[in-house]
Amino acid sequence: MFFPDTYEFYCPVKINSGKRALENLPVELDALNARKPLIISDKEHAKKGVVTTITDALKDSGMIVGIFDGVPPAPDRKLVRGLMNRYRDTGCDSIVAVGEGAVADTAKALNIVVSGRPEDLQEAAGADRIQNPLGPFVFIPILSGTGFEASRYASLEELHISSHYVMPDLVIIDPRIVKAQAAEAVVSTSMVALAHSAQAYTCPAKNPMNDTYAYTAIQFIGENLVNVIRYGDKQGRLALANAAILAGIAFSNSPRGMIHELGWVTGDISGLSHGICMGILLPYILEYHLDSNEYHMSDMLLPIAGAEAYAGTAENLKARMAINLIYDMQHDIHDFTKGKIPLTLKEAGISKDALDNIAGAAVVKGHEGFTADDCRVILNHAWEGTPILSS
Amino acid sequence: MILPGYYEFCCRVKVIAGHDALEKIPGALAQLHAKRPLLITDKGVSGAGLVDTVIDAIRDGVDIGAVADDVPQDSSLTVVNRLAVLYRANNCDSIIAVGGGSVMDTAKGVNIVVSENADDLMKFSGVGALKRALKPLVVIPTTSGTGSEVTMAAVIKDHERHLKMAFASYFLLPDIAILDSRMTLTLPPHLTASTAMDAMAHAVEAYTGLGKNPMSDANAIAAINLISGNLLHVVENPSDRNGRLALANGATLAGAAFSNSLVGVVHCLGHATGSVCGVPHGVCMAILLPYGMEYNMHKVAHTIGELLLPMVGPEVYAATPKHLRAEGAIAFIRKMNQSLYDATDGKHPRFFEEVKDRDGRRMVPRDKLVDIAEAALDDGSILYNPEDCDYEDFLMIMRAAWEGAPLDRSLIRKG
Repeated sequence: MFFPDTYEFYCPVKINSGKRALENLPVELDALNARKPLIISDKEHAKKGVVTTITDALKDSGMIVGIFDGVPPAPDRKLVRGLMNRYRDTGCDSIVAVGEGAVADTAKALNIVVSGRPEDLQEAAGADRIQNPLGPFVFIPILSGTGFEASRYASLEELHISSHYVMPDLVIIDPRIVKAQAAEAVVSTSMVALAHSAQAYTCPAKNPMNDTYAYTAIQFIGENLVNVIRYGDKQGRLALANAAILAGIAFSNSPRGMIHELGWVTGDISGLSHGICMGILLPYILEYHLDSNEYHMSDMLLPIAGAEAYAGTAENLKARMAINLIYDMQHDIHDFTKGKIPLTLKEAGISKDALDNIAGAAVVKGHEGFTADDCRVILNHAWEGTPILSS
Repeated sequence: MILPGYYEFCCRVKVIAGHDALEKIPGALAQLHAKRPLLITDKGVSGAGLVDTVIDAIRDGVDIGAVADDVPQDSSLTVVNRLAVLYRANNCDSIIAVGGGSVMDTAKGVNIVVSENADDLMKFSGVGALKRALKPLVVIPTTSGTGSEVTMAAVIKDHERHLKMAFASYFLLPDIAILDSRMTLTLPPHLTASTAMDAMAHAVEAYTGLGKNPMSDANAIAAINLISGNLLHVVENPSDRNGRLALANGATLAGAAFSNSLVGVVHCLGHATGSVCGVPHGVCMAILLPYGMEYNMHKVAHTIGELLLPMVGPEVYAATPKHLRAEGAIAFIRKMNQSLYDATDGKHPRFFEEVKDRDGRRMVPRDKLVDIAEAALDDGSILYNPEDCDYEDFLMIMRAAWEGAPLDRSLIRKG
């Protein structure tokens, strides 16, 4: 088993997952020395009753809660300032956020300002600029998101923050909150998770501690994504929500890498969901690196295919098999959604002329040791839907 | 993989690993706003020159407040209080613990006293009595075994009041665990063997027990993979730095696994054998592990069988028929013990009759087995064991493990 000569790993996040997981919230808040949480959500999810499920879980504890359920899709500093005043005026001491990307970003930004001063937000932008631990922060995911929720990343307007201090202290995954979502949201969320965990698990900078998160995430997705899309399997949904959180952690402990950067830029430029773009690109990017000895592609077959298939596949075919299984998974999803989830960039409606532009932008953004030419090859194949055969 | 109805997982310790991980301590402490650590260790560790290695590596980056190298084998409240005085008198702002379980427990106790200004440590014992972060704690394990660097528990004995205080809190998790190959490079082969088998037992019991979950499983599998692939090689080539680092990683992964899933009958009987006869914990684990697997076989054969993959690798796993994999995993552990026995000139005992103290006296007289079985009844580890265990079962396992005969599985009363 591979392990590097030197590495650092850190994950402050505790995970509580399963039936009635939210009932432990009062005990968990108490353990974090918190008594008065501010619950943050958005209108759409509040309407579905998720906030009520949380307040019900807190009812018998006597904890007094504040509620703000109006996080917009693009939160800004003004919102965070308003929430800060409210948090302070009502004597809150912790944040419980339920929802997806925007809610998590708002909660992280709010935690920075309420743990210090308003100007700290500006100063936090960049890598590892936060100096001290923040206040207690609990995140409760739905099965839809950007993949950043549990991660060390937060964005607000033009501010991009990277610090392990913004990661939640606790993530609670409860089937009452992880309800059915549209196929596109489930696939997008799961594909970001698969892309991030595959990247962490195969990259040259991998380490055994981070591998446990990536491995488990890949396994959850491999076993459950198609079933959830096809049958709406409930337990499978919970497993996918777990995968999204674990992958966010794995992503926080590995280089951002080509899979993320190229997928992100493709989403930005095309206006498509980032997760769908990452999903389309993932097998092509893995193929592109198939012959490179620096990557640990064959290891990925174990979590994605299980022990029998892994052990029964010849060593030199393991990596190819893992990639093929990702293609298979995507074809199944394509079929079961009657083509709603695109298989190629062409099907996704991206014009061939845009590919150059995407390749150029990914390189400027990435600084990860890949060139615009690398990106062009991958994008062209992913546009046409033709595999990149190894030389 | 089965997603359990409910599970929790937390491993909130920053791990810094490598052949030069010690040098990263000053930077890591600076991030925690600390620069004047109290260094806590024991005579064995300092006698082996390891404290000097640590001090040399960090001297330029931190201002060492004091060095206490007299932690006894058995943790004690008196020592905790004395070290807390030392911490305060030298204006320390953090703790570095270098050593094994007792040193780490002592460091955790000192940390409670100095962080909470506690005059009575008892007030903070039990589960969840701590409510906030303590002073920065860096731990540097000097064996690859206990996994204490990632566990949230500590036990401190009050010898005057004859009390054993147990503490459990996420705030007792060290801030940073340093895995540096230099710290285990001189560990004698037989101790390398037994401590690594302790880690192996953590991983196997975590994976096969009732408290398992997907994250503890992933940690257990990685641990078993690293230990299986490196232990014998390191015992035969003690100065192999990569092998040493692999074992250190394996022990930490195993620690993360069992501290999030708990253990079973192997630990239950191991604790009892340790307390009745004074046999080192790792030795108990190595001897008892195959018996615990055999004992649970009828309940969890499939799960035990899955462990054959990280133990022997994909080729042998694939070539072994499914219904023989669990037997294969047990045979692997037995063979490992035999190979370690051979490689250490018999210093790694295979069964309890072979366990000798320094003067060559047998440590586990056969007539003590009943006392061990009796003591095991009081150990909570059994709660998460797949099969229920009673006195007769404990005694049966101990008798087999004493003479080195395989368990007669027909005698297990299946419940």
